[in-house]
Amino acid sequence: MFEEASEVFDNMFKSSFPLTFIVFIPAVLILVSPLPAEAAHEFTVYRMQQYDLQGQPYGTRNAILNTEARTVEAEVLSRRCVIMRLADFSYEKYQKALRQSAGAVVIILPKNMSAMPQDIVQQFMELEPELLATETIVPVYFAMEDEELLSIYTQTLTSSSSQGSLSAAEVLLHTATANGFQMVTSGAQSKAVSDWAITSLEGRLAGVGGEDLPTIVVVAHYDSFGVAPWLSYGADSNASGVSMLLELARLFSKLYTYKRTHAGYNLLFFVSGGGKFNYQGTKRWLEENLDHTDSSLLQDNVAFVLCLDTLGNGDSLHLHVSKPPKEGTPQFSLLKELEMVSTSETSYTSFSMVHKKINLADDMLAWEHERFGIRRLPAFTLSHLPSHRLAQRSSIMDVRSVSPSSRHGAGEPTAGPHVDVKKLSRNTKVVAEALARVIYNLTEKGAPGDLQIFTEQMVQEEQLSAVVDWLTAQPRAAQLVDKDSSVVSTLEYHLGRYLKDVKRHYVKADKRDPEFVFYDQLKQTMNAYRVKPAIFDLLLAVCIAAYLGAMYLAIQNFGFLYGVVRKITQPKAKAH
Amino acid sequence: MTLFHFGNCFALAYFPYFITYKCSGLSEYNAFWRCVQAGATYLFVQLCKMLFLATFFPTWEGGAGVYDFVGEFMKATVDLADLLGLHLVMSRNAGKGEYKIMVAAMGWATAELVMSRCLPLWVGARGIEFDWKYIQMSFDSNISLVHYIAMAAVVWMFTRYDLPKSFRLPVTVLLALCVYKAFLMELFVHLFLLGSWTVLLVKAVLTGTISLCSLFLFVTLVHSN
Repeated sequence: MFEEASEVFDNMFKSSFPLTFIVFIPAVLILVSPLPAEAAHEFTVYRMQQYDLQGQPYGTRNAILNTEARTVEAEVLSRRCVIMRLADFSYEKYQKALRQSAGAVVIILPKNMSAMPQDIVQQFMELEPELLATETIVPVYFAMEDEELLSIYTQTLTSSSSQGSLSAAEVLLHTATANGFQMVTSGAQSKAVSDWAITSLEGRLAGVGGEDLPTIVVVAHYDSFGVAPWLSYGADSNASGVSMLLELARLFSKLYTYKRTHAGYNLLFFVSGGGKFNYQGTKRWLEENLDHTDSSLLQDNVAFVLCLDTLGNGDSLHLHVSKPPKEGTPQFSLLKELEMVSTSETSYTSFSMVHKKINLADDMLAWEHERFGIRRLPAFTLSHLPSHRLAQRSSIMDVRSVSPSSRHGAGEPTAGPHVDVKKLSRNTKVVAEALARVIYNLTEKGAPGDLQIFTEQMVQEEQLSAVVDWLTAQPRAAQLVDKDSSVVSTLEYHLGRYLKDVKRHYVKADKRDPEFVFYDQLKQTMNAYRVKPAIFDLLLAVCIAAYLGAMYLAIQNFGFLYGVVRKITQPKAKAH
Repeated sequence: MTLFHFGNCFALAYFPYFITYKCSGLSEYNAFWRCVQAGATYLFVQLCKMLFLATFFPTWEGGAGVYDFVGEFMKATVDLADLLGLHLVMSRNAGKGEYKIMVAAMGWATAELVMSRCLPLWVGARGIEFDWKYIQMSFDSNISLVHYIAMAAVVWMFTRYDLPKSFRLPVTVLLALCVYKAFLMELFVHLFLLGSWTVLLVKAVLTGTISLCSLFLFVTLVHSN
């Protein structure tokens, strides 16, 4: 047969060129054709943080994944992709996977986070900083649960768990019938993003009444932080602070348009970027204002700097200071006014001052006011959190999570941190009242403590709620908000409506000795391919060989069947 | 999945053809070139069928899940061209009945195998994803070899001028069954919502029955005179 074939082919090629062409081109095409990507399931995964801060690496250092899936229950995890559900997630299991040199970790998050039990959410929130604290060599991904992914998980679970006490034959059968899954990400290896600019925004309201007026600075950072950048929506920290800042800007811009209520204080508003990365935006802004320019509001006569951080919930307010203010200074009067206004508000349980010295030896600054404190500006941070260590400030659980139908405060209480618009607006009112009392010096003028400067209608709950909704509609991690992003431009537009001289400030890390480095490939498409183990292929090969052998015998002995048929038909044939 | 898996599927699909070619004694008749000619005829007939279908059967745009009974039947009717093609191949070959049938069927089935199964196997079975459908496809190719042999035999019997009157009806019925087999299978699948393995089994049984019937007729016809 083969000689004939070669002869035929020889003749073919000698006689006609086009025929050669027709035969060869498809053959070459077939041989070099790439492997197709027809996956059993395709889903979006969000990679864990990867960044360097002050030369120190954090988070996962890898993005490429191409290994078979297992659950933690499996005996051998090395070079496997360990998938876990949030409900079963614990630090011990995570550590176990890493110790056994797993190839990757995929954590499946439930679609509806608010339906999770409180303790699981709390536990995960506390684990988040721990996951990021050291660098992880293998890629760690987060995926949103759906039916397909859940079925992949359960199939993997059954194939990984039940291999302990079975006989060899059962195990063989098990491996042949069970489905394995090969997890493959489509993206390239993560690499450092060069020239990433963090944007901060500044705007001001100028006071009247002579030269050298005292300046009050109101600061809030807009970026969010969580274990995965694409999942950090940062509702309470710090969409609440930004919305409060915008509302304060709106209220005071109204007061500053009338001659009678135009006060003798300059108000400087600063929406800072990179707040979760040691307040990079604030740091650069201070450097620009204090070191590089001759005249700046920050250089002379700053009354105080008020930083707003995490104010969308809770029934207590804490004023964090690095140095207790002395009596007679504007800081002290703001402290007193805040105390007075908040005690007159019945729904509060407590207002307190929390004193914590700046620890320069720490890698991370505790609060934003410490950036100002280092530069000897009187500053403090207002927050409903009693301590800077609380996990609420850097968690992916910090989401808006009130369904649109039940907005305006009536939503179900969620397990994680969230923003309660009623409380946010109450906090805003308190801050606005206290600021106004300081600016207009009302207490010294003998105004009663329960004087209402802003009525309930003036602090607009809808406005606050809309800003929080808009900010939490997209992840605002510092790696994702670049200078062209809609978050920045919309914030700029908003500030421009109320304030004068709205300016952008960019921070880029130094080329030679970067203070912060971000990495890309934070959101990827992952494919789960159904695969079988090699032993299955061997088993299949044996079966096919047996089948072909039977085929061969059947065709060889076709004459026998022919004979039988002939015998049966013979009498019939004779009848013809 | 792997190249090994592709090898498995390939062996399952191709070896029965090879064995049949070797064992049926076609190689002794120097029939390779004739088989290639039969394959070329297959290509030509398929091209004609496709042109015809594209011209006269616009794409059915009915709702999902609605089975276009008449349209599918009409499309299956176009497969009558296969019979003509097989007849064409056999009429151009001189020789004994078995030889003619085997050459036509082998060429025809091999051409189909190469044209419609080779590429999906190469692309699919080699990919990362495992799917039973490539093994099923290989089994299906074995079934279609039997199918084409039976079909060629029936066509050969139908075109014999010395066919007894009493044979006319069963041969015609078998011919119709051969042509509309794919259509019937589709109907079964649609009516009973069969799984892919069941479909394969039903197909095997149906093909086996048809070929056994045609074998009976063939044996009777050949040895009656």
